[in-house]
Amino acid sequence: MQKNNIIKIENLSRIYRLRSGEQVKAVDNIDLEVPEGQFLTIVGSSGSGKTTLLNLLGGLDKPTAGKVTVDGTDLSGLKEADAVKFRREKVGFVFQAFNLIQTLTALENVEAALAPTNISQAERLERSMSLLESVGLKQRIHHLPVELSAGEQQRVAIARAFANQPKILLLDEPTGNLDTATGRDIMEICHKNSKSNGQTVVAVTHAEFVRDFTDRLIYMRDGKLRQIS
Amino acid sequence: MHMVPYSYAWREMRRRKHRTIINIIGYVIIVATLVAIVTTARGWEATTAQPLKQIGTDLIFLYSAPVVPSGSGCYIVNHLFSFPFEQSKVHDIESFEGVERAVPILMHRMGAIVLVGIDPSETETNAVLPENVLDGRFLASEDKNVALVDLEYAQLNNLTLGSTVGYMKGRFEVVGLVDVDAGNILKSHIYVNLPVGQRTIPDNNTGLVNVALLSVNDPREIEEISNALTEQFTGSTVIAAKDLAAKTSNALAIGEETAWNISIALAVVTVLFTVRSQIAAVSERKREIGIFKAIGWSRSNVVSQIFIESAFQGIIGGLVGCVIGVGFAWFFLSGISGGTFVDPVILVIGFAAAVASGMLAGAYPAWKAAKLSPTEALRAI
Repeated sequence: MQKNNIIKIENLSRIYRLRSGEQVKAVDNIDLEVPEGQFLTIVGSSGSGKTTLLNLLGGLDKPTAGKVTVDGTDLSGLKEADAVKFRREKVGFVFQAFNLIQTLTALENVEAALAPTNISQAERLERSMSLLESVGLKQRIHHLPVELSAGEQQRVAIARAFANQPKILLLDEPTGNLDTATGRDIMEICHKNSKSNGQTVVAVTHAEFVRDFTDRLIYMRDGKLRQIS
Repeated sequence: MHMVPYSYAWREMRRRKHRTIINIIGYVIIVATLVAIVTTARGWEATTAQPLKQIGTDLIFLYSAPVVPSGSGCYIVNHLFSFPFEQSKVHDIESFEGVERAVPILMHRMGAIVLVGIDPSETETNAVLPENVLDGRFLASEDKNVALVDLEYAQLNNLTLGSTVGYMKGRFEVVGLVDVDAGNILKSHIYVNLPVGQRTIPDNNTGLVNVALLSVNDPREIEEISNALTEQFTGSTVIAAKDLAAKTSNALAIGEETAWNISIALAVVTVLFTVRSQIAAVSERKREIGIFKAIGWSRSNVVSQIFIESAFQGIIGGLVGCVIGVGFAWFFLSGISGGTFVDPVILVIGFAAAVASGMLAGAYPAWKAAKLSPTEALRAI
């Protein structure tokens, strides 16, 4: 059965204007549709526009032209408050540099994603602990990021990304700062959790082994989607 | 109650210890200054006003220059010359706006002994009041050659009830022993009826007094009434409790209004300094703010976070400042009074001022943080 497209991109462009007046086309007039539940991987060299595309999909940035629709929400003209709601409810981010809050414990980092919601304190704690347990960090919940290995920090970031049970998971070079074995572990966790929850994943990466987890692979170069397989 | 913002705020403060401590010190200075100076000012006024209050007096009226050619140059103990004036003038003073009561007094000093002539029918404002009688009775209007004697003076001179005490040409039976803590300016030894006193001292003093003790309707108007009386009665001197204090001690004397002005000036400086400090803190945390925005924190969540941190600093500074302020007030007042009364309202105002200053200092940095674009913030190193 054909699944609905949860992501629909039409003629999308994102142009940055530099102080010198020069314009950089980070995303250049692309079209893309992603069915619900698909694990999509975008590969490409540094500066090809992958992260910009993820930021546009996550409502962190706004397109210069074109349209991005995610789970029925048109992100192109979204107001700040609606963009916040969208990020809180619909997407989970995992970054290359983990982006954990250094002064918060693993548990608090996950709970931070739930802090702006109306979920009760007890449920927040329960859900955060359960997520950390699911990424194998049950014994490390009260550790600060600095007390965790790189792989463990990325697992905390994954638990945080899943905290609000988002429909879409956006992975920005999630294995970029990890060795191959740890990176593979991380991808397995993301793959397993997203599949079991029916979540759509868009990952951008350089790592070759990501091919083993992906349903679909796209190459990006100079802001354009060059090859689709 | 979401615990993450609070634990995050607390740890951020600990992470930036030096900046946090400097900010808190600023709030401590505001509150400690406010509490210490205002409490000291109030304690000072209360302490110095107490002796006069005990005899129902707010102001002492006298002439420090001759008013009438006749009469003796009477002398008040606190090195202030006071010259006789018509007793009827006391009625004029009493009818003055704001004056509740004006009581005539005649004081005369011979050597180290001070004789005071009083109107015993005045039992609320007077050089001695019925409640000052420790043994015996108070004076009555019809009394002639009887006197009240200061207890200390009586003990030094072996005077008891029924003894005779002399002053110049007068001889008086001691009918009461009194203890009046009226401060140096009104410290007296022998109290007699006013007409008796007028006859006892040299020259013709009939109908003359040299002091009027005044009570006012509203103590907040003391200074205003004092100025108006001085203006109305040329050559007169009106002494209030705080003037008395300035003459009797070298300790710190500062008005409450000045105390408030100093504290407000300090608060402004501290807020400006803390704003700068908090802006720097926000700049250092650009990336973290980006992370929070990426995981769904709204502008108001970010603003609240910065506010919480600033308020925490204000709360700590406020509490420590209150303690230090009370300590300083106690230190300043310990030399001049038996105790330090700390008005809880001042503590509340001081504490609230610190928290408000903290939040004010956090407002602009919070607004700057809220405005940050998440992608720009995430790119920050």
